[in-house]
Amino acid sequence: MEAGERALLEATVRDAIEDSSSASADDVLVRLGWPEMLEAEPRDAVDVVFTALGATNATATVLDDVILTALGVEPRPDLAVLLPAFASWDEPGRLDSGAVNAVGLSTARVARATDLVFVCRDGVALRRVVVPIAEAETTPVHGIDPDAGLHVVRIHQRGVDGAPIESEVWEGAIAAGRRAVAHQLAGACRTMLALARAHAVERMQFGRPIARFQAVRHRLAEALVAVEALEATLTAAWDEPVPMTAALAKASAGRTARTVARHCQQVLAGIGFTTDHPFHRFLKRVLALEGLFGTGDDIVVRIGRQLMAERTVPTLIEL
Amino acid sequence: MDIAEFRSELTAWLDAHHDELAPAFSPPGTLDDHVAQMQRVKSVLFETGWMRWGWPERVGGLGGSPMLRTELGAALAARNLADPGLYSLVEVLAPTLIDFASPELAAEFVPRLLSGEEVWCQGFSEPDAGSDLASLACRAVPDGPAESAGQWVVSGQKVWTSLAQYSDRCVLLARTGSTESRHRGITAFFVDMEAPGITVAPIEMINGVAEFAQVFFDDVEVPADRVLGEVGGGWAVAMSILPYERSSCFWQRTAYLARRLQLLVDAAADDERTVAVVGDAFVQLHELRARSRATQHRLAGGATLGVETSIDKVLVSTTEQTIYDAVLRLLPGIVEVDDTPVGDAWRTEYLYSRAATIYGGTVEVQHNIIARRLLDLGGDD
Repeated sequence: MEAGERALLEATVRDAIEDSSSASADDVLVRLGWPEMLEAEPRDAVDVVFTALGATNATATVLDDVILTALGVEPRPDLAVLLPAFASWDEPGRLDSGAVNAVGLSTARVARATDLVFVCRDGVALRRVVVPIAEAETTPVHGIDPDAGLHVVRIHQRGVDGAPIESEVWEGAIAAGRRAVAHQLAGACRTMLALARAHAVERMQFGRPIARFQAVRHRLAEALVAVEALEATLTAAWDEPVPMTAALAKASAGRTARTVARHCQQVLAGIGFTTDHPFHRFLKRVLALEGLFGTGDDIVVRIGRQLMAERTVPTLIEL
Repeated sequence: MDIAEFRSELTAWLDAHHDELAPAFSPPGTLDDHVAQMQRVKSVLFETGWMRWGWPERVGGLGGSPMLRTELGAALAARNLADPGLYSLVEVLAPTLIDFASPELAAEFVPRLLSGEEVWCQGFSEPDAGSDLASLACRAVPDGPAESAGQWVVSGQKVWTSLAQYSDRCVLLARTGSTESRHRGITAFFVDMEAPGITVAPIEMINGVAEFAQVFFDDVEVPADRVLGEVGGGWAVAMSILPYERSSCFWQRTAYLARRLQLLVDAAADDERTVAVVGDAFVQLHELRARSRATQHRLAGGATLGVETSIDKVLVSTTEQTIYDAVLRLLPGIVEVDDTPVGDAWRTEYLYSRAATIYGGTVEVQHNIIARRLLDLGGDD
């Protein structure tokens, strides 16, 4: 997508989401052509939409569309996805002689969809299973961020069959999810930094804006360095779309979100500790998002284990 | 030439000529060894043409995207064929001559730098002008009106001048305006290091290597045709170096750091502590590589690099220290008590890495720039 066109899209999506109530962010995105955009220009679509969702703290269920597409299923509003459990990237189901046991997380789509798609391990093979949501036990997650729309979903059912899928398809779905969530975290980090910056230049203490104190400036500078590094890994993850670059972007997103939240909350000080100021919503949202498709720490360990097992430091991206 | 094609041909060529190019000395090697190695490699690569890609034809190059020479430097760093810190002087000083010297001067001297015939140094920092470069005091006085001067006479002192004791030329910043003129009253000169009145006093670094030197200028005569850029335009010359240092040199540094992490991964015990430390270092390295790549692409796309490269500088500095900290943690004793050549090499590099957050503008100075220019936080106290 050409740069001017892209900037216009970013502004349009963000304005539309901000003008809507959070409940209808999905409708807004559909009206803006999200399904067609995801099919025709997945990179721009995912980047722009998830960055905007993160930046505005809006709740949508478009992650389901991203995962469905990666699993080779045509996305539909009445089709929800069972994601891996919090802090996991294992396939959420086990299939044994037609009996399925699955537990994982879903977006708010599960509350109004009719069917649920998920991946099961069946011995050494993987299968893509579809069950009616009526058969599933769904519980909204209150947790740290009730507005995130997450649900815990459990399924115990017999007589289930599924389409075999290659393990690369599942890895591709995890990678797609990681890229999307990493964009959302990057958007949230940008807003946390903007909130802290605005506070720093307005808040007067000792007769001057606190932005003039080097201790404050350096915290915000460090936060910006982290966000810029994360955004670079996202560019790399799309340029070289292999599972490892997506894992690295998600790992970077986890580290960055914690660094940015820590520095921004300290700069926001008292007001950032209240529910009067919007910061708390972003802090809570990034903690909820960080566990989707594996936390940064878990991914770091997994990557380290792979490097040590192969005794190889891969290059992944060239000029 | 296309970059992917260049990379693949270069890789094949370097593989085939490894024995000819590899250092003959055992690690860590003396500074003499490293300088001689770099010059020998440059000489071979210049004769075979590799060293000429990405440089303009008017200075002996073969043309093509500057990314070609970035790729070459990265390959040399990754293969331990040239120290990236020493090699970076080529990347920053050749463009200065190309952009600011007369065409004749550039055509005469740049090929000598590229071909390994000469070593050049950069005379910027002074004892009282480190991070605050605009306060430099080394003075150049014309022998008449500045516009028609035949020569300039330089007096003063420089410090942290890398490889001064090996250098044939120096790109020097000197004050030609009033002391209060700050960055407006500075002029750049291309000085012969054998000129009478120059004294070089090497400084032994924390790792025992004397890579830097103090350079004293005592009424050194510099012909007027050695002024680089405009009289009073030295700040622009100094600033022009930044994009090269922060693109090509950082990409090459990244290749070097990747090689170091590989050596650590080869040697470390495969346990739970290692996987966490190595994983963390690799994520940082990947962030740096991704950022540096994006910067390269912006430069190649015609963008003017500016203050946003302070981000790159912070990332390269902190990643370097993370990787050597990982070495200290995962190879216990290798830095502290290992007297084998391998221990000597890690020790030298570990100690050098402590300067990564200091040279080229400290991390604190970068944070100040980021705060003021990128976050628009206004002035500080």
